[in-house]
Amino acid sequence: MAGECILCGKCLEVCPLLNATGREELGPRAKADLCSQLKKDEAGLSGEAVAGLAGRCLGCHRCAKVCSQGVDVPGLVAALRAAHPDFKSWLWKTWLVHARELWSSTSLAARLIPKKFQPEKLGQFLKMLAGLKGGPGLEPFLSVESFPETWRGEKMLLFAGCTANFVQARWLMTALRLLSGLGAEVLPGEFECCGGGLKSAGFADEARAMAQGNIDVWRKAGRPRLVVLCASCRSGLAGYADCFKDPAELRQWQDSITPLTALLRGAVFVLSEGAPGKVGYHRPCHVDNADSDYIFLGNALGERLVAATQKECCGFGGLMRLGAPGLADQVNIKCWKKLGSPDTVLSGCSACVAQLAATGPDETQVGHWLEIIA
Amino acid sequence: MSIYAESLSPAHKSFLSDLFPGEASVLSREGLMAFSADASQERAMPWAVVRPGNRGQIEELLKWANVEGVPIYVRARGTGRVGNAVPTHGGVVVSMLGMDRILEVDENDFVAVVQPGVITGDLQAACVGKRLMFPPDPASVKYSTIGGNVSTCAGGLKAVKYGVTRDWVLGLEVVLPGGKVLRTGGRSHKDVVGLDLTRLFVGSNGKLGLITEIILKLIPLPETSASLLVGFTNLQSSMAGARAVFRAGVLPAACEFMDRVTIEAVRKTGDLPLGDDARAALLFMVDGTEAGVAAEVRQISEALRDSSPVSMEIGRGKAEEKIWAVRRGISPAAFLIKPDKLSEDISVPRGLVAEAVERAHAIGEENDLTVMCFGHLGDGNIHVNILHDASVEDEIVRANKAKDEVFRLAIELKGTISGEHGTVLTKAAFVPEQLSQHEIDLMVSIKHSFDPKAIMNPGKGW
Repeated sequence: MAGECILCGKCLEVCPLLNATGREELGPRAKADLCSQLKKDEAGLSGEAVAGLAGRCLGCHRCAKVCSQGVDVPGLVAALRAAHPDFKSWLWKTWLVHARELWSSTSLAARLIPKKFQPEKLGQFLKMLAGLKGGPGLEPFLSVESFPETWRGEKMLLFAGCTANFVQARWLMTALRLLSGLGAEVLPGEFECCGGGLKSAGFADEARAMAQGNIDVWRKAGRPRLVVLCASCRSGLAGYADCFKDPAELRQWQDSITPLTALLRGAVFVLSEGAPGKVGYHRPCHVDNADSDYIFLGNALGERLVAATQKECCGFGGLMRLGAPGLADQVNIKCWKKLGSPDTVLSGCSACVAQLAATGPDETQVGHWLEIIA
Repeated sequence: MSIYAESLSPAHKSFLSDLFPGEASVLSREGLMAFSADASQERAMPWAVVRPGNRGQIEELLKWANVEGVPIYVRARGTGRVGNAVPTHGGVVVSMLGMDRILEVDENDFVAVVQPGVITGDLQAACVGKRLMFPPDPASVKYSTIGGNVSTCAGGLKAVKYGVTRDWVLGLEVVLPGGKVLRTGGRSHKDVVGLDLTRLFVGSNGKLGLITEIILKLIPLPETSASLLVGFTNLQSSMAGARAVFRAGVLPAACEFMDRVTIEAVRKTGDLPLGDDARAALLFMVDGTEAGVAAEVRQISEALRDSSPVSMEIGRGKAEEKIWAVRRGISPAAFLIKPDKLSEDISVPRGLVAEAVERAHAIGEENDLTVMCFGHLGDGNIHVNILHDASVEDEIVRANKAKDEVFRLAIELKGTISGEHGTVLTKAAFVPEQLSQHEIDLMVSIKHSFDPKAIMNPGKGW
């Protein structure tokens, strides 16, 4: 249950924006306090200025995870955005301005931009801000020698996510190949976007409609395991709590969400001769505590896995990339400082991959871990 | 008439914007709000915030502030519990988060030289990388700064063996009101020349000058450690257990206790590695060599046997962190019982802890409130939390009455009204009951020597 911020400061440990900028007013405690002072309406604050300041949030949810009072700062920020009457038009206007700056009219991203604002495509758009492109990706260097028998015959749904569905078809194909190798029976299911990006942007109604649609697909398929490839999608799906009336069904939903790497436990992999000597791993903000992608890569790559981020965010930051790209860049720089310049950096989140690919050193290639599977 | 400026004039504002260009100064009301309160939840709006990146800017600032009579409030991460960082008289808040470099960790001299904005946990991690240790670890160690820890003389879990922040500061660089730079102490681990000005600054709560660099003492990193979480059916058994451990000749690195209410609160936040029927608990940490730690764990287990513990969880490595996460989670968990609390941290002679806790509970009952006690049993430093609902007028009155009674209890037992949080704003009114007028007069004259115009952290008590 959400309580009031007690100003204890525990969240200051984990906020990548505060830690990259040293600006206390950008930290989660300041935002929670600002929202509650605005509500009290005693301090003579301007609602618009509060929304502008509080809106400088990466939406990583790290603060919400450590808060003893259940304060959800990204949720408060989303509510401020939603309450701001001109927000939608600001967003679209800013989007178009940035889009023109970022992509040539012939690029894949530019072709995907619709003529009018379509909230349901926001998640996809935001990733393009980081320069996402459907290029050839990394050269594969990991082959599967054998699969475990654990999942053979189990019926599953694959939630591939917007990026794999629309831009990186190779991720989708590799995921299906791995599931086939595991002997899983992949059920047909037409999912929509997880709605995570939309929700944090303040479009709660649209996000809820998507969530409801996705839950219906799962119900119709008989509530099977739901395999995910992307940490942000996983987090978005896990955040559907208010769409369920029955707590038992909610638990079943949450238990069903499974990162693909968790299924690969027990699989045997072989590195090819051309495998890079130094590989970094970026831990996405939205990954679950177990972080099965990291465990998988640690097992498969051994000593080649030389660096891993912990507290650092890639700086993608959703809407912050539009509203305050300079601040998001500071966060990104801190992330690269931790990663250094290994031959390859892998991650399990489509937004992180897009952001890091667009910002890394020339000698470092960035990709989703699926791209290294031969 | 006030000795301070009443607000910032346009000329003042342009001085600040010139000295601290761009994002290094904040003047908007919305931006200033973040600097108006700290973990005490007390609040006052500053007139401006500045973010120095070097000492030169601070020298200029304090020269200007001294001439103009502008109050200066130094702030790091605002995690103090008694309102140290609250800008009571407005003025300029100086945010030190931009000066956050670890300048040196020297394994030959066993010293670290740091800027004040370094997070203490980050310094500790840097020391561990060189097999060195900076022991003070307040509960906020992962999110508070060394500058704040020095200014408030932060305590922590390991004070029973390693002392408090004061015991680890060898030297300081300080900018005084008027802009002069003072250097005290140095890299020597021993120094008896003159009065100990370094110690005077530690715990001075930003009232004497602005600390810009800190030299800290380090020791070799203990080879290993182990922690124990032990449950008892009642408070008396737990106190008898702690006494037995010390009598057995063990000096633990940490020795904490939790009473029944504390255990109930923490249980609400998740699984607790403690017996279901535990109504009191002790937490120990021992550190040293592998053989020494194993021996001390055995000694503790044996010493506790007569007190009939109901559960004993012994943690090594990651499991140890799980035990201490329980301890660090206590303070926020209290809010799950009642929405508000008065957090007092009295300290009494170690032999009187049991009496102090029982009487604190009795004070709670007499005032029809829940009182939760936990804390640093090894130092006699008890965190007495008076839980209440501030939206109920009568509860506030009763909570404040209980607080006064707890303070009087501490003084009666020849203890102190604050072992580590400080008194600065929230407890200032009570200080004259503990300190003599003679002591207070001396403190006033010492402050006057450093800060004759009283621009540093004004509006606060001792």
